[in-house]
Amino acid sequence: MTGPLYMMGAFGYWTNLMLSMAIGFFFGFVLERAGFGDARNLTSIFYFRDMRVLRVMFSALCTAMVGLIVLSFVGLFDYTLFLQYALLKTYLLPQLVGGILFGIGFAVGGYCPGTSAVGVVSGRLDAVVFLVGMITGIWIFAAGFPAWGWFYKSFDLGRVTLWHVFGIPMPVMAALVVVMALGAFWLAGLAERWAPYDK
Amino acid sequence: MEEPQYAKGYWNPYVAGVALGLVLLLCFYLTGSGLGASGAVARTAAVAAHVVSPEWVEQNGYFQEFYKQAGRHPFINQVVFMVIGVFLGGLVAVITAKRFIPMVARGPNAGVGFRLSLAFVGGVIGGVGTRFAMGCTSGQALSGGATMALGSWVFMMAVFGAAFVTAYFVRRQWS
Repeated sequence: MTGPLYMMGAFGYWTNLMLSMAIGFFFGFVLERAGFGDARNLTSIFYFRDMRVLRVMFSALCTAMVGLIVLSFVGLFDYTLFLQYALLKTYLLPQLVGGILFGIGFAVGGYCPGTSAVGVVSGRLDAVVFLVGMITGIWIFAAGFPAWGWFYKSFDLGRVTLWHVFGIPMPVMAALVVVMALGAFWLAGLAERWAPYDK
Repeated sequence: MEEPQYAKGYWNPYVAGVALGLVLLLCFYLTGSGLGASGAVARTAAVAAHVVSPEWVEQNGYFQEFYKQAGRHPFINQVVFMVIGVFLGGLVAVITAKRFIPMVARGPNAGVGFRLSLAFVGGVIGGVGTRFAMGCTSGQALSGGATMALGSWVFMMAVFGAAFVTAYFVRRQWS
């Protein structure tokens, strides 16, 4: 059956919620098994000690990326429909600024939202505090919305992809991403042997 | 470098990555959207503030978008249900691996107060960041990245660029 099933009307809102919870279950399970319930394993990458975050992240990204293209090729996923209605929109500057803030928060706090949830159930008190900090941050964002609301959802470029930007076919772009990931895996091994901040 | 105790006993990162990628693929196939987490935190912040001051939340330029659908609570939402699943799945994984340890993750010479202060400050900055970026590592970097959305790649590069620079200045919490 051609997906995305929910967008095709295969099931209703509540079924979608239940399926999302089941998917979340496996998501959380895999994050824990990857070692992402502890801030030390999450931040080691920034000191070139242990590059597992990069390895997990890029192998997951490539798996899903290639998987979607394969599903689309065999007629099981309507990529055109997805690009029209579901692809995340690009808000260029807000996402750049948000990314910088998020990166600072990640390095300082030691977690990101999903991994802090796994940290909490692993018994990590710092993950609980990080989560409370995030809620506080969102209150600050909401309280200051009159001041920076104009910037939120600004620089809207619409649903645009990397292959649109580079003007190349989608499978070629995907192949380039895979090659880049393989290069990053190779560099990760070199970086671990270098590990500057241990010295 | 000798692998420390806290880094031992997990799956091979490539195995974990492919497993995570298959979960993400299934999510796209079934629901049409990717994985997410920060949206649930934002909704929790809105609901908590709503308990204290409903008028402020319903008139706030940002929070009001969660209260637009009349009759449907902000928690009746895909990303909230997903994060409930994340807690449950993480808990089952922790219990079956006997890895539940109440502790503060920090370096051997870093104080508890110091580490918890940084965890809070990092959470605040990261929380603000997720709202401007409209997502986090799961929703933007991973899910948007896998569909090659431009903004998600800009976000991902900004996250890692900023984090590598910032990490140098907070390295003492891990030493």
